Amino acid sequence: MDNISQISEEERDILQEIMNIAFGKAAADLAEIINIFVVLSIPDIKIVMAEDLPGYIKEEFSEFGNISIVEQNFWGEFKGSALLIFPADSGKELISLLGDNDEPSYEPQSSDILESETLMEVGNILIGACVGKVAELLKDVVTYSPPRVIIEDHPSVSMPKTLFDPSNAAIILKTVFCFNERNVNGFLFLITSNNSVSWLKKALVDFMEQYE
Amino acid sequence: MNEFSQIFETINFGLIILNAELKVSHWNHWMARHSGIDEKQIIGASLFDFFPAINTPRFVRNSNAVLSFGNFAFFSQKLHRFLFPFKPVGSFQSSMFENMQQNCTMGPLKNDDNKITGIFLIVQDVTELASYEQKLVELNTKDGLTGVYNRRFFQTRLNEEYQRYKRSGNALSLIMFDIDFFKKVNDNYGHPGGDAVLQSIASKIASIMRTTDFLARYGGEEFCCLLPGTDLAGAYILAERLRKLVEKTVTPCQENNIKVTISLGASQMTAEDSVETFLKRADEALYQAKNTGRNRVVPIPPIDISVDSSS
Repeated sequence: MDNISQISEEERDILQEIMNIAFGKAAADLAEIINIFVVLSIPDIKIVMAEDLPGYIKEEFSEFGNISIVEQNFWGEFKGSALLIFPADSGKELISLLGDNDEPSYEPQSSDILESETLMEVGNILIGACVGKVAELLKDVVTYSPPRVIIEDHPSVSMPKTLFDPSNAAIILKTVFCFNERNVNGFLFLITSNNSVSWLKKALVDFMEQYE
Repeated sequence: MNEFSQIFETINFGLIILNAELKVSHWNHWMARHSGIDEKQIIGASLFDFFPAINTPRFVRNSNAVLSFGNFAFFSQKLHRFLFPFKPVGSFQSSMFENMQQNCTMGPLKNDDNKITGIFLIVQDVTELASYEQKLVELNTKDGLTGVYNRRFFQTRLNEEYQRYKRSGNALSLIMFDIDFFKKVNDNYGHPGGDAVLQSIASKIASIMRTTDFLARYGGEEFCCLLPGTDLAGAYILAERLRKLVEKTVTPCQENNIKVTISLGASQMTAEDSVETFLKRADEALYQAKNTGRNRVVPIPPIDISVDSSS
């Protein structure tokens, strides 16, 4: 498939570098602005066929057992899906990370709701920071869908059909993140469709030009 | 007024625009109508001056995230109930919610250079939806006749409490009770009499339960009280209180005043127990209470009855 070879080794390296810078900035801003301390690993970039995505995702998470997924779509020139994957019980840990579990606005029996809402809020902020910084470096403007939480033992992630034509390639950026204070780890996947590739190639060139 | 301003003013949502210092720069009619605060009064003022309760760490964190990352933030009714303390509208005014239930969304506003200059806030009234949801939850978890929890939800809670016991090791006890000679009530006063007794006993007992206790109708005239944080001695004392309370209770039904008694069994969760053996022991205790004269409490294992005289 030609699509897959559309991104050269060099372009992949540039993309990796951009992600690295973006995630570094995202982590710094999260710490400075909202007091969330998160470590993001150097992203790993893979290109797979969109039709293989569900199988790939399932395999990636098999070691986790039960998981919670926060899914959020983003639209700009750079468009796709962001998936944040947590081990199933992380919600409880993250509630204390946000430090406002003393808000009286929820009822005690709704701990499941509190957990999933906390996952959504953390996911929304983390995804917003990471995607936002990538878009900023590439001079793009993105908007986001509301986050959605999927909690299950057999993850089946539904990719928006309009974004992921099964016959197209998808670029997967995988990052391990870790909230130091709470010992919560997980994966952040940014999956962007082939439709973004030609724009991405141009943006990568533009990005490099400022250093030449 | 340009077209977008007309929409801004007439749309059935609250729309607010805040600058980077969270001062109000736009406040639509919807907001004015529900808050009673006129656009003229609030423009230029900090949102927190008018709504100090909104100044929470969560709101500040999310608005900072929107201003620096340009993402969206969501304040869902499920978690927050509402952001702005407004009265519910129309038929929901006197219903289950004291305040209008809201879903709120926050997002960035950018200038021509893509620099974020402010925040928009959308407020959506979801009171009607939330009240339907609450009704559905009640239908699913409550017993229609007595208003206490139903057996299915009891099983769910029992399993949850069992898991919690396994993790924490905190005491967990169970009282199972049954109305004595209930068949006679039905025979003498008909089913309306039986129903009235079930209702008055359930509501009397529910009224003296602690909020952490969990009362459910287990079967026809059989009830269960799940007692987290209570040991067998505590369960016994409570069971005696319930027994005396029911003994004193008179249920009026037409021209009759119906009096009944209850028999009670109590058990405490042990490390060897499963949910089934825990339930079975309380059931066995109830059976013994029935067989040894009724209107009495039997704990298994037996405990020193002297605790009774002190209560």
